[in-house]
Amino acid sequence: MAISLSNFLNPISVLLLYVLRCNAVVITYDFNVSWVYANPDGAYNRPVIGINGQWPVPPITATKGDRIIVNVNNQLGNETTSLHFHGLFMNGTSHMDGPPGVTQCEIAPGKSFTYNFTVEQPGTYWYHSHTRGQYPDGLRGPLIIHDPDSPYKDLYDEEVVLTFSDWYHDLMHTLLPKFISLTNPTGAEPVPKASLINDTQNVKVFVQPGKTYLFRMVNMGAFAGQYLWFEGHTMQIVEVDGIYTFPEEVNMIYITAAQRYSVLVTAKNHSESNSPFVTSMDQDLFDKVPKSLNPNVTGWLIYDDSKPLPPAAMIENFDPFDDFNLIPHDLEPLYDHVDYALTLDLKMGNLGDGANYAFFNNITYVPPKVPTLYTALSTGGNATNAVVYGENTNSFVLNKGDIVQIILNSADSGKHPFHLHGHAFQVAVRSEADEGPYVTDIAMPPTPMRRDTIMVNPNGNFVLRFRADNPGIWLFHCHIEWHVASGLIATMVEAPLTLQQTLSGKIPADHLSACHDTNTPTAGNAAGNTINVLDLAGAPRPPPPLPTGFTARGIVALVFSVISAFAGLAVIAWYGAAPLGAV
Amino acid sequence: MVQVFAVPVFFICFRECLETSIIVSVLLAFLKQTLGPERDAAVYKKLVKQVWWGVILGLLICVIIGGGMIGAFYGVGKNTFNGTEDIWEGIFGIIAASIISLMGAALLRVSKLQDKWRVKLAKSLETSDQARGNARGRFKKWAEKYAMFLLPFITVLREGLEAVIFIGGVGLGMPATAFPLAVFCGLGAGCLVGYFIYRGGNRASLQLFLIISTCFLYLVAAGLFSRAVWFLENNKWNHIVGGDASEVGSGAGSYDIRQSVWHVNCCNPQLGGGGGWGIFNSLFGWTNSATYGSVLSYNLYWLSVIIAFAVMGYKEKKGSWPFRKTKQVVEEQGSELGCQPSGDITGDSREIKKDESEVISTNIREILEIPE
Repeated sequence: MAISLSNFLNPISVLLLYVLRCNAVVITYDFNVSWVYANPDGAYNRPVIGINGQWPVPPITATKGDRIIVNVNNQLGNETTSLHFHGLFMNGTSHMDGPPGVTQCEIAPGKSFTYNFTVEQPGTYWYHSHTRGQYPDGLRGPLIIHDPDSPYKDLYDEEVVLTFSDWYHDLMHTLLPKFISLTNPTGAEPVPKASLINDTQNVKVFVQPGKTYLFRMVNMGAFAGQYLWFEGHTMQIVEVDGIYTFPEEVNMIYITAAQRYSVLVTAKNHSESNSPFVTSMDQDLFDKVPKSLNPNVTGWLIYDDSKPLPPAAMIENFDPFDDFNLIPHDLEPLYDHVDYALTLDLKMGNLGDGANYAFFNNITYVPPKVPTLYTALSTGGNATNAVVYGENTNSFVLNKGDIVQIILNSADSGKHPFHLHGHAFQVAVRSEADEGPYVTDIAMPPTPMRRDTIMVNPNGNFVLRFRADNPGIWLFHCHIEWHVASGLIATMVEAPLTLQQTLSGKIPADHLSACHDTNTPTAGNAAGNTINVLDLAGAPRPPPPLPTGFTARGIVALVFSVISAFAGLAVIAWYGAAPLGAV
Repeated sequence: MVQVFAVPVFFICFRECLETSIIVSVLLAFLKQTLGPERDAAVYKKLVKQVWWGVILGLLICVIIGGGMIGAFYGVGKNTFNGTEDIWEGIFGIIAASIISLMGAALLRVSKLQDKWRVKLAKSLETSDQARGNARGRFKKWAEKYAMFLLPFITVLREGLEAVIFIGGVGLGMPATAFPLAVFCGLGAGCLVGYFIYRGGNRASLQLFLIISTCFLYLVAAGLFSRAVWFLENNKWNHIVGGDASEVGSGAGSYDIRQSVWHVNCCNPQLGGGGGWGIFNSLFGWTNSATYGSVLSYNLYWLSVIIAFAVMGYKEKKGSWPFRKTKQVVEEQGSELGCQPSGDITGDSREIKKDESEVISTNIREILEIPE
């Protein structure tokens, strides 16, 4: 099935209300979210979350400068939902960002919710549910913002969108309780059953000899990173996560969950044979890999449809390009002085319910009673005090305009891809694996690469810098959906006082009624306290820590056992001494 | 140091040899005390030989089986016992605890039955095999005759197989050069301690020695019983998490928090052979991660022992099980009512003695399956 640019010129309905600037339009989507059935890997027919009765869900496309309106109607019946537009900065519209408990409440079954925002940034993005553990059930799709002024617009003839994803057969509401459970104390993530390209397999991309194609590639997976290569062709990276880069010619790339790459691929000059392209799931994080798992999925560049489809060749080892070495096209220089630095120490561990959780600075994320944005809007001068957001939202208050540095030290052997909402950040440092915590005085590149999702190497560290020029509540979290569920999230509360000026009273009625429908307060601190916002009693807490030594129960048991042993020995001695007395 | 001396293997061998030599030394000391080379040299020598034959044969079979198993491990390339290790330990432990518990009581009444023992043992040793009687009768006679062989034989076999399985699980990652010295030292240390127990028994009065060693034995048995239940629970937990829980060490995930009574991350007798904590585990059943099962079974074991010994002691003193009348009382009433001349008192005491010795020989009989 060929996918080319022409398919994307017909969104569900196009309303031309008014022209804001030259050619800027309002694009409206009406999304009816409901369960449908699908069998993308040909192995298992299962319920998936579709939009308007279809799955894969439709892409969202627009041009730079457009306004996008998405009317979501939750027809799932048994689950709440939400939508996050991954990579879009939502400048001035933090309340449209999507994560429940942060910028809005969950959209209850049967209810509607409207997202309304403009996009000033071109590139390849995607949208997905931000309800805990939901998007791997199918509610994710590409979001493409076209750029009439793209520096590369003359370098290619056609655009092709490719999405990659790992795929499970079980529903998330079956897998999630098994994952966060005392029967899974090591926190082993469920292993996917298959890998998909464009939510199917055996994709055919029709190409003509000598033409150059822009492949917009999105990894919409829940967990697995993907190695990607085109056999017999090289790729030129021109954009990552919405940031144009200087073209970088590579053979293979590694796309973590949630990352995007746009690459130029030039077709061969002849049409003698078709060429496979392959994505292979990174199995390093897979706990127990069943022998039946095929981690690869192949698509073909079709030069001649009558010719056979050659199988992909086996390769010796993976040698992907390190995205740290990309240079952004606008040559933005490194922020060389930092106004606010914060350190996040990552570890995984067990709490008192026996399950495995993820921690930043020994705190695991628990959603507050009041969405963090509404707390910022309703706590007046106290909104700059991180205390009001609750300890378990892991909140950091940023001042407007500050240059912020995030140091992340990982004490885990996983390859976690971290994403920051509302910004693209400069990647100043990324250590190799096993280098431990960050030590200062490491040389930083003068024009560091920028993107919004970056992987940390196992037991390594990275350093990110960005300017806090976008007031809002922005999550910083691992994009492995299992780790979102186990709490690997921190919250950036950026310029809350400015937020109060711009958004107070401007939260739309349907946002507030979503909270009403789910019995969620819309004012107060993380514990819902509107009177004394520094009093966090009653704020949601994680399970208590595991007892580390003898509890009262243990001491009683031990003492009692010792006493019964002595009593037993006394009786034995008494019995044994009887002949001594009788004789 | 690790290359020539595998500390976990040393501790495993020490532990198992210690348990074995305790039992063997108690047997030998008992034999020495009751029969003694001065009294019935032939019988004494024969029985001592039986004990040693039991030990040697048990050891030999262990080495053969052990060698076979280790060869199979390395040959087949996977640890076939991984899944069932805990079940083996659990069942072995319960059987061992039962054997020790039943045997221990008998030893405390030894001085009363010295003569009876001597005569019985000498008679059965001199009696030639008789063709009469069915297979079961013959087996019983044979078992009685060779009791001193069977007991250490089964003990050594059991302990040795436990050691082999455990070493198999622990030692697969270690170089082969680390084994011999550790095994030798472990066995040597265990035998040394057993020898001291044996020697110690001769100087003290027999009964005091028996009391102390029996107390010791019951401590070991209680620990064994508790440990066995713990292993069975651990096996269940392994199945829940789908793997070997000890792979996460002593920390979270290695135990079922729903069953936990106490858990400390140190002092694990299972990891790396256990060190001193392994000895503690062997002697007292210490575990760093106690469950309701292991704590309750430990206490219930002692409760049963207390009740059993109290009842036995009561019966000896009063001549009847608690809450039941004896034949003696009925006789007394009968003779009173019937006005029969009886030399009552001597008759009664004879009856009492008869009942007591019947009780005790019933106990021994049950243990050794000697038909009356």
